Amino acid sequence: MPDIEIVENLKRDLGEKALELSNPGVRRIFLGVAPRDLLPAVTLLRDKYDCAYLATISGLDKGDSFELLYHFASPAVNINLRTEIPKSAPSIASICAVIPGAVLYERELQDMFGILVEGLPDPRPLVLPDDWPAGNYPLRKDWKFERPQEVIPGGKS
Amino acid sequence: MLNKLARWSRIKSPWILHLNSGACNACDIEIIAALTPRFDVERFGILLRATPRHADVIIASGPVTRQMRDRIIRIYDQVPDPKFVIAVGACAMSGCVYRGAYNSLGGIDQVIPVNIYVPGCPARPDAIIDGVVKLLGKL
Amino acid sequence: MSFQIPIGPQHPALKEPISLRMTVEGEVITGVDIRLGYNHRGLEKLAEDRNWIQNIYLTERICGICSHSHATCYVQGVERLMELAPPRRGLYIRYLIAELERIHSHLLWLGVAGHEAGFDSFFMYTWRDREVVMDLLEMISGNRVHYAINTIGGVRRDLDAGQIAKIQEGIVTLRKRSEYYFYIGANEPSFVARIAGVGYLSKENAVALCAVGPVARASGVARDVRKDDPWAVYDEVDFEVATADSCDVLGRVVVRVKELLESYKICEQLLKSLPAGDIAVKAPRKAKPGEVVSRYEAPRGENIHYIKANGTDKPERLKVRAPTLANYPATVEMLRKGFIADIPLIFAAIDPCICCAERTVTLIAAGSGEESVVRMSDLRRRAIARHQNAPVKRNAVWPL
Repeated sequence: MPDIEIVENLKRDLGEKALELSNPGVRRIFLGVAPRDLLPAVTLLRDKYDCAYLATISGLDKGDSFELLYHFASPAVNINLRTEIPKSAPSIASICAVIPGAVLYERELQDMFGILVEGLPDPRPLVLPDDWPAGNYPLRKDWKFERPQEVIPGGKS
Repeated sequence: MLNKLARWSRIKSPWILHLNSGACNACDIEIIAALTPRFDVERFGILLRATPRHADVIIASGPVTRQMRDRIIRIYDQVPDPKFVIAVGACAMSGCVYRGAYNSLGGIDQVIPVNIYVPGCPARPDAIIDGVVKLLGKL
Repeated sequence: MSFQIPIGPQHPALKEPISLRMTVEGEVITGVDIRLGYNHRGLEKLAEDRNWIQNIYLTERICGICSHSHATCYVQGVERLMELAPPRRGLYIRYLIAELERIHSHLLWLGVAGHEAGFDSFFMYTWRDREVVMDLLEMISGNRVHYAINTIGGVRRDLDAGQIAKIQEGIVTLRKRSEYYFYIGANEPSFVARIAGVGYLSKENAVALCAVGPVARASGVARDVRKDDPWAVYDEVDFEVATADSCDVLGRVVVRVKELLESYKICEQLLKSLPAGDIAVKAPRKAKPGEVVSRYEAPRGENIHYIKANGTDKPERLKVRAPTLANYPATVEMLRKGFIADIPLIFAAIDPCICCAERTVTLIAAGSGEESVVRMSDLRRRAIARHQNAPVKRNAVWPL
């Protein structure tokens, strides 16, 4: 099914829930929804558009809000679902009930951005070390790392 | 007399432990390729051992990640004296491209004392064998 | 009486640190917990401070075995952002090296699988044959691993007639040797019996848990980015997607062996129809604002990079998801109901590229909470001993 037909079907199925719908390249569709419509949209994509496969979840720090991109893929097309949440109240519902394979990607979002994912079956940190000081979220734009001076053994330090 | 015998046996067959402290794997597959028929370090008597308690030499690669730091120190303590450390690859020497990352400490020598540095990204198996032989020459 | 076994970071058999904690009852595993983070190097944050060209060298070093796949996935995306059309000869050379890398990675994995199953001579044979591919790659690019052959807009080095002849000769040699491996597979019933029925992952679970690469294809899910989302030359060459239906480690071996044969076919086609011309176009310093999703089929599965540009010469956001991370939930499912003795084999069968993980198995007694650390090599020895004494499975068949 070519991209144009899929875009038309999405427009018809989601109606005004689709805040943004674009087709910038071959086999790439970008779809925007509000956070409260996230779970119905994901269920629709899985059931009607053959998108049971979630490739990954990207987070982006836009200053005063976080943008989350869910990358789904079907054998015909890639649908990227975008949603935005404010930085002052960073929380989003988990989609693990619909797509069980999403658990690791949501844990990584929690670690890197400090976004609270509600309903996550296993909310422990994923990639940060055990002795990482709490409250430091590395991928936020305002978090800078000052590298401590390395010690050269046997030489001038 | 017994000392000379012990030193001769250590030079003739050092047993090594391979330690990966968060590397990209390129140096590790070159270390393993040194065991394969083309380069064959086993003819020098070098054996890859499983546990730190049997090893004489630690071959380490990777820029040390914060999570691995305590484990490396613990493994170093478990290796019986006299022990030697070879740092393989640019990451183990100074961090390579990961210098300045928030989770990497920038080299093995920030954590344990190193005897030999083998440069390269990744270090060729020939260079690794050269490094091991030079270490044996110093003993 | 349940035990919990930790398999810890420093592990003698395979190369990367990961920590697994298994809850076991007797010899059967009832629960698995994976602790990542030993290999987390903060790459995505580093990428925001480097410009487009410097990031090629950074993404190459995400993994040593699949370095070209990360670099190609990144460069594909950036070329689309900058709206560049690299010349055909450059694209053919880039994907020829990609297929050579797939060959070297699958041969490496076959050796590792043989080693974990107790078949060390197989390990030595495949790694000796891998040296043929490493020599070809060194002749083309100058380095055995991390061949920095990509640049934005094409490739950096060209092939001349002598090199092309050598590559063709090398592929003929490799094909003869690979056929010897199939002969071994067909005539070594103990090897086949060792790996059949181990690490079962049903098709529904493979789909629900979003497995990728040969792990999904061995469970009958025909998902391959080279066919679903072909970029550049993959819609001009003729090859098939390799699948298997047995959903276990035997299926994964069969899928990778079939992919080796397909890669030889693809390399020969690319070399035969290599077009003449330039190898690169000049790329601008800055990229226009935009975003792109770039997918690539690495030897282990699907690699996805999401790149966002904001009009300067540095990316605003680079998000990388390597294939082994996607296979972790599937691995947890596979290990459940398996035996402790099979842990090294199952874990090696997903082809873990744990530039990403370290493995030691820790067995934790679920009842009493006592911990005992068991080295992977001990597990392997126990596994080999156990299978030498077990009766040979008479109905395990080599399907090729």
